[in-house]
Amino acid sequence: MMRPFGKLLPASLAALVLTSFSIAPDADAAAARGGGGGGARAAGGGGGARAGGGGGARQSAQVDNSRADTRTNNVRSTSVNNVNNVNVDRDVNVNVEGHGGCCGGWDNDYHPVAAAAAVGSAIAVTSAVVGSMVRSVPPNCVPVNYGGMVYQQCGSTWYQPQGSQYVVVNPPY
Amino acid sequence: MSIITMVRKILVLSVLAMALAAPSTYAQTAPASAVDPASIQALKDMGAFLQTLKRFRVSTELTGERVLTDGQKLQHTATADMDVERPNKIRALMHSARSERELVYDGKTVTLYAPAQKYYSTVEFTDTIGKLIERLEERYGVELPLADLFLWGTPAASVDKIESGMNAGQDFVGDDLCDHYAFRQAKADWQIWITTGSRPRPRKVVITSRTDEARPQSISLIEWNLKPSFKDTVFNFTPPKGASRIEIVPVKTK
Repeated sequence: MMRPFGKLLPASLAALVLTSFSIAPDADAAAARGGGGGGARAAGGGGGARAGGGGGARQSAQVDNSRADTRTNNVRSTSVNNVNNVNVDRDVNVNVEGHGGCCGGWDNDYHPVAAAAAVGSAIAVTSAVVGSMVRSVPPNCVPVNYGGMVYQQCGSTWYQPQGSQYVVVNPPY
Repeated sequence: MSIITMVRKILVLSVLAMALAAPSTYAQTAPASAVDPASIQALKDMGAFLQTLKRFRVSTELTGERVLTDGQKLQHTATADMDVERPNKIRALMHSARSERELVYDGKTVTLYAPAQKYYSTVEFTDTIGKLIERLEERYGVELPLADLFLWGTPAASVDKIESGMNAGQDFVGDDLCDHYAFRQAKADWQIWITTGSRPRPRKVVITSRTDEARPQSISLIEWNLKPSFKDTVFNFTPPKGASRIEIVPVKTK
């Protein structure tokens, strides 16, 4: 499934440049974040005892995933099956196969950007590379909540917020 | 070596041998059923206790796993804090490295809010938290943290599905002494650590999926505050300044 994706990269990168979204190049983005990333949680205090606490301190540091290997997004569909509870059988009602990535657990905001077989060669030529990160989305996008996650739909291209950036994902539905 | 010592030695040895052979007669008899009734009872007792809690705060730190196409696993963490008032009010704050979300239910409307983007979606709903969990799951593919907490002690948490259940001894979770139980059912193996004493609460839950040969697992540590100080207003969602309402799309069903 990954092979065609890899081959298409050059072509679709060109498309990306043409559409002039601001791609976040690795080093650039990292610098912009001011080295916040790693170990942010430790700095936030309150490690360990979660009770009573509630967010607060940790929010000052933004996660930067621009350097994450694209392979980290190649989540296989069987693992989308939820393992967070034993009393809710989501497979009964929800079709988790065949869609871009709906319905991981509440903790699972990893949209399997490369998993959908339906995304063939056509789409990559006309729109942004699935899996690529951008800092902002085009002005014509429509925000929508699907599966509890907010997406930005911009024509045939879909974005999912990640920290202060956006990742291009397969259409979630 | 004298004969006497030799005889004594042989005696000792044979007593030892007998002692070694003996355990088979004294060994714990294997349970008639794979499902230990006491373990099931412990689940029921915990469920019954949970249902008596009217107002509480519960926090969890979850370690989850996702499996890559080649079978390699990556771990992630997420946390949630929930203020609850049974039967029909809940506010859940969910954090992960990538996203922050809120779910607010006042018994009439459910709101999903993404603070970073200031987008919220609102849906009308009137029923218990347990029903809300079902509905969100079925229609919107939205999962509430620790959904099991609201289902144990209700018919939705059927123990009939459990194919194997055993007491795995005792263990500490933090400072709390817990009874540790292990269960197996259709798609999952799961373990639960229930606090000992008169207020049996789940303190830790580990669920291992058997649907994927990589066996992805979730580990939830759970902390309780049974005398919370939150106000009733936490259950009302007022859109913050600059927030805008967006559509929530139902999931495609089979």
